[in-house]
Order: sequence, then C-alpha cells, then structure tokens
Amino acid sequence: MKVVTVCGMGMGTSLMMLMEIQDIAKKHGYKIEGEAVDLSSAKGKKCDFFVASEEIAAQLKHENALVVSIKNLIDKDEIERKVIPVIESLK
Amino acid sequence: MLEFFVQFLSNPAFILGIVALIGLIALRKSASEIFVGTLKTVFGFLILQAGTGVIVNALTPFSTMFTQAFHLTGIVAEDNSLVAAVQTFLGYETAFILVFSFIINVILARITKYKYIFLTGHMMFSFAGTMAIVLDQMGINGWKAILIGSIVQGISMVLFPAISQASVRIVTGSDNVAFGFWGSSWISLCGWIGGKLGDKTKSTEEINVSKNFGFLKDMSVLMGIVMLAVYLITAFFVNPKDMVKITGGQNTYLFAIIQALTFVAGILVLLQGVRMFLGEIIPAFKGISEKIVPGAKPALDVPIFYPYAPTGVTIGFIATLIGSLIVTFLSKWLPVAVLPSVIGLFFMGGAVGVFGNARGGRRGAILGGLIFGITWTLLIAFSYPLIDVSKYRITGLWFASPDAIIVAVLMRLVGKVFGL
Repeated sequence: MKVVTVCGMGMGTSLMMLMEIQDIAKKHGYKIEGEAVDLSSAKGKKCDFFVASEEIAAQLKHENALVVSIKNLIDKDEIERKVIPVIESLK
Repeated sequence: MLEFFVQFLSNPAFILGIVALIGLIALRKSASEIFVGTLKTVFGFLILQAGTGVIVNALTPFSTMFTQAFHLTGIVAEDNSLVAAVQTFLGYETAFILVFSFIINVILARITKYKYIFLTGHMMFSFAGTMAIVLDQMGINGWKAILIGSIVQGISMVLFPAISQASVRIVTGSDNVAFGFWGSSWISLCGWIGGKLGDKTKSTEEINVSKNFGFLKDMSVLMGIVMLAVYLITAFFVNPKDMVKITGGQNTYLFAIIQALTFVAGILVLLQGVRMFLGEIIPAFKGISEKIVPGAKPALDVPIFYPYAPTGVTIGFIATLIGSLIVTFLSKWLPVAVLPSVIGLFFMGGAVGVFGNARGGRRGAILGGLIFGITWTLLIAFSYPLIDVSKYRITGLWFASPDAIIVAVLMRLVGKVFGL
C-alpha cells in the first residue's frame, strides 16, 4: 500500500506527515510505502491514498485516489483517527 | 587508489550518500531499502546540481538585461538555489557542516533544557551552505570551516526555535512543536509588532476570500507568474540594440518568456533533487534524535502554522509582497535591487499573516506583513555588500533567510574585528 503526502514544497511538512503516518501504521501492524511531494508533482501520482492539509487537499480533489485532509498537522491523534480507517478499508 | 578515495570522500553527493547509508543501517532497514535509499540520496544531489545549471543559465542573461535596463544590480533571494550553485566550490564543507551541526544540535538538546531538534532539512542544507560561504569569504576553509560552521549552526538550530517558542505557543496553543525555519525570529517579531498595532478580536478568519485564488497554493504557478512579470518588464526597458546581443536575434519577449519559465523549471528540478536526498536523510536524523533525546521537541517547517489561520496566510502573503515591492521600487537608493522572491515572500509572508493574526487580528496580519516585507527586503539589500558571491560565478542570486543572514552578517563583522 502506498501513500503520497503533499505540501507546498514537498520536503518539510509532507515528509513529517509521511514519517508520522508510517509510525502510526507500524503501531497498528501495517507497513506503508510512501513518498512526500509538492502539489505540482502530486498530480497524476499513482498511490492508494493522498494525505495533505485541508488547503492543499482541496487542490487534489480531481485525483484518482482517496484524499485524506488533515486540519491540524501537528495533531497526531487527528492523523491516526483519519488515516487508520482508510488503511483498514483499503487492506 | 588513495587519490580515488580522497576525491570520493570530498564529493558532497557521496558524503551525503554515506550519511544516508549509516542512518538507514542505524534504523535497521532491510538491505534493499539501504541500497535504494543510499543511491537515491546520491541521485538527489546530482539532480540538485543539474537544476543549478539551468537556473544559472537563465539568470545570467537576465542579470545583464536588468543592469542595462535600470543601471542597477538585480538579485532574486533564494537560499537553496544559491547554496546549490556553490557546491562545486564548497560542497565538501557544506555536506560536513550539515551532518556535524545536527550532531551538535542533538548534544545541546540532550544536555540543556532546550529540547529542540531542528528537522527542516532544506533549511539545514541552506544554512550549512551559508556558513561555508561566509567562512570562505573570511579566508577559512577545510576542517576549520567545518568546525566553526558546525558549532555556529548547531547552536542556531536550538537558539532560534527557543526565541520564537513564546509566539508558537500563542499561535498553536500548545508547546509540543517548535518553529524550525530560518525566518522564525523575524516572523515572530513582526507578528508581535502586528499585535501591538492590531486588535486580536477581529480575526482574519472572519473574512471570506474567493476560492478562485486556490491556484496560488501551487508554488510553481505562483513563481511562474511573478517571474514572467519580472522578466517581461525588464525586457521592455532594455535598449533594443543591446537586447539583440543578449537574445542572439530571437524575439525579445519570446526570449524573456522562455528564460523566465526556464528559471522556474530550474528551481523545480533543484527542489526535486533536495526532496530526494532529504527524504532519505531526515527520517534517519529523526529516528536517531528520538532515541538520544527523551522529550525532544521537533522544530518543523513553516506550513504547520498555516491551518491556524488559512485566510491570514493569503493576507500576510499579499501584505508582505506589497511591503517588499515598495522597497524594490526604491532600489535606486539601495546597494542592490531585491526582486520579488516568491518562495520567501509566500512562505514567510504567509506565516507572518498567521502570527500577526494570533496576536493582533486582521490589522495585525496586514501591518505585520507590510513591516516584514519592508524590513526583510531592506535587510537583504543592506547585507548584500558584505558577502560577494560573484567569485563563485553566480550572478543574480543571493541569500533569503533573515535569521541566516543575521548570523552571517554577525560572523562577518566579528571577523572584521579580527582582521579576517
């Protein structure tokens, strides 16, 4: 299973989100592949789901995979609450 | 054979490859993950250098155009491009400062009460390059530059998050994360001034901003629009006879459009390179720091603050852009013309909007942004004569991050006291 995390530059916030998601997934016993990218590169990326901040997620709505939108990027609980059900449904 | 190893180990692509290799082993990754990660780090660095070539080639004719049009030197402030462009001269120093400054950061976080771990990779890279450049200008190279640069950077990686933490608490309402970005002190200061001048009860978030501006979230689009404007306006003011020499006969405006978009394309290539090598190194840094420093507070990149006032981000960016443009139009009286530098304006201006709003509502965001735009651009313009990058065959590029510039200028001034 592959996640693509997205932010403005594709190297700061998105990379943190990716590491967070991989940690959380591991805690639940899943191994997730992933990539952190910027908004331009995200378009057309092949993956099982995207994760991005609300602002960025709104720009990804035409993509072919599910988009998980995170309101508070530093809230680990919110990430866990939103991402784990997606992983379980895609499994 | 020895010569091979010496040259191998002084190449920044391989230094960072080895760092990734060690980090991936420490994280107990599988053999294939270690191999792929190491190779990707090296690719990332080589892509970064390829992007630099594109940027420099698009900026060189532009610099000539700008000087002939306005009789001024024009610069775009963008750290990563500048630092990438000096890698052929100072790559060895930059790569080692990047690594050793992180180790010093971890030690400081372990032994002092300041538990900040700076994890914004592209900022660590640009600061390391800034250190290498400043020290080189003072005649300090090799291991001495690595030693001094790593210590200064390691301290800065704890000091600057500590300075802005009071503002971070007000914005986020928590103390779990810190601000790891070389504009944090200036952003916090302008937010604080915005708070003194504004009214906290009238939030930016009560204003409705049209959804049509969503495309501005895409950095490449925003940068493309601004660079097209900058190149086309400059081309308009160049004497047609001089222009022919620069374009080699191509239509002036077509030339300007192609060069402007090539410049942006170069930045995109460069950032892809940065992304690739950071994607392998930063997780290793994070994993190691979590084991060594219990209760570490990660100092993170600026967009983590945007969700606290999304409209404030847009307002702050526009106010900062206006402030910066005011200074650009007064360039005649300044040491250098600072052109609209989109990455800095967008990311820092947006943050000033959030910080200004948290302390002083919409007026705080607008005035904080204006003050930030003006003072930041003036800081660049007045610091410019202190660090000469033309010796690395770079024209039209200079430093952008205010905190890094402050540290660099202080080092340069201390050096002058000692005759360096």
